[in-house]
Amino acid sequence: MNNKTELTRRVLLTGDTTLDPLGRLLERDQEMPHLQVTAAPYGQVYQILLDASHPAWEFKPDVLVVWTAPQLMLPSVEKLLRFAAGSAPEAHEAALREAEQFAMAVVQAASRVSQVLVPSWVLPNYERWIQALTWRQGIGPANLVAKANLILAEKFSERENIVLLDAASWQLGLGRPAYDPRMYAVAKILYAQSLFAKAASEIKAVLRGALGQGKKVIVCDLDNTLWGGVVGDDGLNHIKLGAPDSVGECFHAFQKTLKGLRSRGVLLTICSKNDEQFALSVIDTHPAMVLRKSDFVGWRINWKDKAENLVALAKELNLGLDSFVFLDDSPQERDQVRQVLPQVYTPDLPVSPSELAPFLSSLNCFETVSLSGEDFQRTEMYQAERGRQEVFELGGDVENWLNSLQIEVRAAPLRRESLARAAQLLNKTNQFNLSLRRLDEVSFWDWASEPGNSAFTFNVADRFGDFGLTGLASFSLHGTEARLVDFVMSCRVMGKKVEEALLGYTVAQARSAGARQVLANVVNGPRNGPAQTFFATKFFTCDDLAIDPAYVAIPSQIRLKEEVFEPKPVLLAVYE
Amino acid sequence: MNELISILNDIRPGQNFSKSENFFEQGVLDSLDLTALVAALESRYAVFIDVDEMTADNFRSVTAIKTILERKGIKLS
Repeated sequence: MNNKTELTRRVLLTGDTTLDPLGRLLERDQEMPHLQVTAAPYGQVYQILLDASHPAWEFKPDVLVVWTAPQLMLPSVEKLLRFAAGSAPEAHEAALREAEQFAMAVVQAASRVSQVLVPSWVLPNYERWIQALTWRQGIGPANLVAKANLILAEKFSERENIVLLDAASWQLGLGRPAYDPRMYAVAKILYAQSLFAKAASEIKAVLRGALGQGKKVIVCDLDNTLWGGVVGDDGLNHIKLGAPDSVGECFHAFQKTLKGLRSRGVLLTICSKNDEQFALSVIDTHPAMVLRKSDFVGWRINWKDKAENLVALAKELNLGLDSFVFLDDSPQERDQVRQVLPQVYTPDLPVSPSELAPFLSSLNCFETVSLSGEDFQRTEMYQAERGRQEVFELGGDVENWLNSLQIEVRAAPLRRESLARAAQLLNKTNQFNLSLRRLDEVSFWDWASEPGNSAFTFNVADRFGDFGLTGLASFSLHGTEARLVDFVMSCRVMGKKVEEALLGYTVAQARSAGARQVLANVVNGPRNGPAQTFFATKFFTCDDLAIDPAYVAIPSQIRLKEEVFEPKPVLLAVYE
Repeated sequence: MNELISILNDIRPGQNFSKSENFFEQGVLDSLDLTALVAALESRYAVFIDVDEMTADNFRSVTAIKTILERKGIKLS
């Protein structure tokens, strides 16, 4: 499968002003996913949203972007701004009805695409109005637009595939005018090129997040990155970290930001030129350290080349280097990593320590469209894996080791509650993936609901901890022939014969659904070698697609349980 | 000169700008490209191009662009 085709999305832009400049920026951006964009003629928002036979839909978009301005989309907002309404409260009431109508039209259109992105409403910053009254309840436009956005947020929550984007934050971070009245006069382009560039970058980040392509691992240097100074020279008591030293405050704030990312599922690791034992003792004993050893899932603290260490960390975590972010204060180290490992995202760090925390908070590479229990537990899961490997290294015998792990696999049909994580797994997994099929949540659910199609999820646990939902399989039944469509397993459970159990269960399910033959077409992708190797041993002959049942069995070391319904919501709408 | 060609290539890759005498009539650029070109020139040379100057005629060729930039004190070799 062509990697570019696999990650190309068709995007339809619609708005009340000309959005073509955004379309061109989105198409030219080389970052994944590649986009094919059409900007519909401006001013046809309702026609496009409400009419499924509008010519704009002939493009068959996967993603719809609806970017409108409140003063143009909501006539009553314009009236309020120009003091043309009967009364301010009347304009408020009317504008909120208009906002509701708009929201419902977006919800209606959302069933035609996988994803809808709606930048929130923002009044142009040159619309100062009357400062003393603009936030006054029932009077001012600032108050009204905030309420209108809340209506959008509430109505959009009916559908998981609508994302309300925080367009106000795009303007705040811009540092130059977001609007260009000349361009509006010439071509009805409301926004300045710099705002379009920011919007394009954010939209791409959200789409990457929706496809599970966000970054997963941060690799941190220690000296002058996690703390100020060089601990090997300055000593534990003289590094700058925490109050009352102002530089120490900055590094403390940076660590707090890192800790926040770790708490929502980004893995933290260390790569530093230091003495390992001494550096780890500093991490665990310095009173102002926010991050402790238990916050990191791996480290390479030695005098080796950093690129070599990053490769070793990727191997240890079984994750691709393209999911890594490398944070190091040294321009030389960054340059070396960029040259040797261009797939690692290596941003330039700000020179001033005071800018470190805001810089990290502003990165859009960790984007996701949902947060699941898996994300909150990720660091603990990887630490449990370290424990397993240590036991293996002590024992050495694979069979005994597997027996000692007490692996349990819980199989269940795909459910609404597991859909978010299942789609995340489907889209993120490159290595143990039969077909490399990528589908968003809605499309995957729709596919699995079609007659003849079945999808199963697998939760894996052992005595060290819970791996969570780490396996996914689906098949399509035609007469007495079942075709495996997806067979995906997280790299976290590779090497434990879990894949044998997953295949054993899936083949048994296909047979009980009426299949006499189960076929598997292994896609020859750039990185799915592990899946290719596994399936190569399962066919009757090497040029056959039919799986030989003689090679399929649930290993004795694994206990497989079929899960009964367990109403545990996986998708978290709010932090709990 | 090379710098201008590079700016134009960023806006429309793969076009032969140095040979074209009228970008807009020859379909090398369109009116949306004109707005992108104005934004790029303003950002690169720190100039301001006013609304009445944003005409296809002022940006129809490399020579025309050099002329308007010269009027704003930017001399390109």
